Amino acid sequence: MAFTPPKETYTGKVYPVTIGSGDKAVTFGGENVLPFHSFEGSTPNRPVIAYEIMDVPPTDWPDKVKEPYAAVSDDPVKWAKFCEQDLKAKAIALRLYGTHPDSGNKSADDAVKVVKDVLAAISVPLIIIGSNHAEKDTDVLVKVSEAAKGNTCVIGKAQEANYKTIAASAMANGHMLIAMSELDINLSKQLNIMITQLGFTKEKIIIDPMCSALGYGLEYTYTVMERIRLTALTLNDATMQQPMLGDVGMYVWKIKEVTASEDILPEWGALTERGVAWEAQTAASLLLSGAELLIMRHPEAVRAVDAFIDELV
Amino acid sequence: MLIIGEKLSIIAKRVREAMNKRDKGPIQEIAKAQFEAGAGMIDANIGPAEGIEDLMEWMVTTIQEVVPAPICLDTTNYDALEKGLKVHNNEWGKPLINSTSNDPERFPILELAAKYNCDVIGLTVGKGGLPADAEERSAIAAEIMARAMEYGLPVENIYLDPLVLQIATTQDQAIKVIHTIKMFQELNDPPMKTVVGLSNISNGCPKPIRPILNNHFLALLMYEGLTAAIADAHEIITTAKTVDAIMNKTLYAHSYLEM
Amino acid sequence: MALTGVEIFKLLPKTNCKKCGFPTCLAFAMQLAARKVSLDACPDVSDAAKATLGEASAPPVRPITLGTGTKAVKLGEETVLFRHEKKFVNPCVFAIGIKDTYDDVTVDKKIDECLTSEIERVGQKLKVDAIAIINDSGDKAKFEALAKKVASKAGDVPAIICTGNTDAAAVALAQFKDKKALLYGATMANVTEMAGIAKGNGAALGVAASNLDELQDLTEKAKGAGIEDIVMDSGAKKAKDILEHNTLLRRAAIKKGNKSVGFPTINFMMRDDNLLETLMVGLGIAKYSSIVVLSSAEKWKNLVTFTLRQNIYTDPQVPMQVAQNIYEIGAPAPNSPLIVTTNFSLTYFIVAGEVENSKVPTWLAVMDCEGLSVLTAWAAGKFTAGKIAAFIKESGVEDKISNKELIIPGYVAILSGALEEKLEGWKITVGPREANAIPTYLKSKTA
Repeated sequence: MAFTPPKETYTGKVYPVTIGSGDKAVTFGGENVLPFHSFEGSTPNRPVIAYEIMDVPPTDWPDKVKEPYAAVSDDPVKWAKFCEQDLKAKAIALRLYGTHPDSGNKSADDAVKVVKDVLAAISVPLIIIGSNHAEKDTDVLVKVSEAAKGNTCVIGKAQEANYKTIAASAMANGHMLIAMSELDINLSKQLNIMITQLGFTKEKIIIDPMCSALGYGLEYTYTVMERIRLTALTLNDATMQQPMLGDVGMYVWKIKEVTASEDILPEWGALTERGVAWEAQTAASLLLSGAELLIMRHPEAVRAVDAFIDELV
Repeated sequence: MLIIGEKLSIIAKRVREAMNKRDKGPIQEIAKAQFEAGAGMIDANIGPAEGIEDLMEWMVTTIQEVVPAPICLDTTNYDALEKGLKVHNNEWGKPLINSTSNDPERFPILELAAKYNCDVIGLTVGKGGLPADAEERSAIAAEIMARAMEYGLPVENIYLDPLVLQIATTQDQAIKVIHTIKMFQELNDPPMKTVVGLSNISNGCPKPIRPILNNHFLALLMYEGLTAAIADAHEIITTAKTVDAIMNKTLYAHSYLEM
Repeated sequence: MALTGVEIFKLLPKTNCKKCGFPTCLAFAMQLAARKVSLDACPDVSDAAKATLGEASAPPVRPITLGTGTKAVKLGEETVLFRHEKKFVNPCVFAIGIKDTYDDVTVDKKIDECLTSEIERVGQKLKVDAIAIINDSGDKAKFEALAKKVASKAGDVPAIICTGNTDAAAVALAQFKDKKALLYGATMANVTEMAGIAKGNGAALGVAASNLDELQDLTEKAKGAGIEDIVMDSGAKKAKDILEHNTLLRRAAIKKGNKSVGFPTINFMMRDDNLLETLMVGLGIAKYSSIVVLSSAEKWKNLVTFTLRQNIYTDPQVPMQVAQNIYEIGAPAPNSPLIVTTNFSLTYFIVAGEVENSKVPTWLAVMDCEGLSVLTAWAAGKFTAGKIAAFIKESGVEDKISNKELIIPGYVAILSGALEEKLEGWKITVGPREANAIPTYLKSKTA
């Protein structure tokens, strides 16, 4: 008796998004099936992993993830070049952490300078992320969005509190926009509707349903992503058909499991592998639930996730 | 369909202040307005009422001074309930306790209902966690019914409540609640009575769309045979009267809305 | 098709005899419908009703138990494809693979990794569940020796005997007779004989196919040979194929009612690259493996895979809870602020995260409210002034702080008066309603 494979055909699809320019441009999304279900539809693009860099030295990062960047992280330009040339990054995510009022309160003009210098130094696409201070980001992201005009970057994150100005400037300067809501599919849809009501092209939105680290609410992010993707495919809901972002590194590299040494918690095993595995497993799980764009920190974790993707495509 | 007027809740600032000051004015005004708009019972929600067990007694007498209707005593506080039941005037109908559930902390409430031979809402939730679907809610309902019998309370005195959840956060539960209303009735012959906290469906939604959600949801629940709804009588009376007429439960006349 | 509770009730004796442990036949019927109990619990059900109910209540994926006693593990019984629809039932079993080509030191190390793997996380005990004994050498004597060693050192751990050689299977499985082991390695060539060996030793049978068509034929053959407990390997090796096969098999069982493939699955996830292997275990957890076989179980790897398994198999209907405790965010001093909130994990993660963002060292008192959020817990009478006061007094936080001020969530400002009465000598302060206002609030307090 032959086995009858119960294949699904979906009415909806995920928009493909292309960022950057020239031969280094990358495209993610574009599939009309659940993640990696190439057996029943089309999965034209590989998920993309962006290396995270910052505008200020990563003093808050745990030692384990500072190490690989020790020689370059004092300067965002050196750091960006190192990611592109030595680590073969397909994309770079610049977090303007130093603009946060509590982390240096650097001005929007400082941020503009860093963005311009980094753009001049690299040829891979750039993702530009604010400090997640709703008010300050409005000011900073509008100015860096203008400064990066013509580079087809990703600008983020637009949230309910500040989406209007950020979306308007991303639109005016030809960038993609990250729309972030807090672990709630209904709020995610609402934000996408509000952004498109401003006249922003819905195919240029990237959904960030808010990341959580393994062991710290990962199942919420995982399930919200699964539900968003099912809504896009099975209900053919045009407001939910954007690719999704997993902003992994920032959420993982602050928890106890990646910082507590083996002397303190012998039952947790070696810290060297533990932190890297924690980031890799968080990222891999989000790929399975629907993320097409990941922002990660540790080169070893990126390598493992890349190998995992190789086996899945 | 029975409307249990819901406007007297400690969550509302004006009501809370009146309760704190024992100011009868606003309480009686709201209760009267609900009754005149079509409520057959008035819900008095006093919260957990820690250390203010006398509040329910005051609420019951305050409301019944001006409204000839039974009261739905809405609190988790056993002593406050008993004090309220003692003074309740039953000539306009049995009081209703809101509520018992599958949480052991709420078992004694059945004893109270049996002691005062009143009705009680059986909320189909247990300890920790929400019921997933109609089946799970019915399983809890069956346990509550069995427990009621042990306490000597007839199952006819129970109004089963499937626990309405917010459409904004748990959208898939709305249709499951509608299915549950149908399933609850099958648990006994004569069919079990059912009740919902209607406005919870639209909790957290923008103000202008709340009545729309509440009324449409009510129509679907009534189609499945809902007995009672805790709701704002002003807001839902048109739906309640209209669906009753459509379902042949009341005799139609052009002026049916005015009756 | 599954019967509703009411339909089942009609088939029961309706005597309310309570022998099943439930107060009424109706309550028992509802539990049966939810597949939380077995019909065997009813002593008086008629044979006709039994036949009807047995057919209707058989779950789409057969439940199987491996091992006996306290270390036994359950597989199968899954009812959905996505965890938000309903809880995933039986967590993916982790089996450490031990080959008969390993030297003694390695074998001892692997057995030890399994036996010492248990850790506790969020109140649950988690461990490597089983040992897969692998006939890598093809040699019967070597295989038997390894099986003997495992049986003597870890006889109570569920065992999976992996071989395609029937002679080797017979001698190795005999070490685990009547211990509900799994004999893995039945193919089209040897399935009848393997079925006989499995039955003779009270074991389940694992079938190893090279594709899905063959898999379906194999399970039918095994059933024909009188085997009820089957575990399936479709032959998928690469991540892509494992994802495809596991998805199609679960869909076929659940959505199409295909009984030929309504069995648990086993996937061999061993990789030379241990980090990649860790991610493969993650694939198995998320995408429907009932058993994953791994090459090693280092403590760091266990922590990662145990945590993911716990996350994915959490009941989405039950709010995940954190333990009641006084948590230290940063390194709080005796005069640092003290905030109280409920133990709904999402509340905790968000509040703790915002406190971290504030960079203000803080005492965070997390109170057990059965995993409800602040407002829900208050309405349910679990987060009341009396209960908060009792918790603060019993928590011992008074010995850690110099400044008796308690910050309560803005949503329960209503409690401040009652709390001041119940917590003698304390100042009660109303904090922000929303967590994202915490950083500004804390900074202004300590400015």
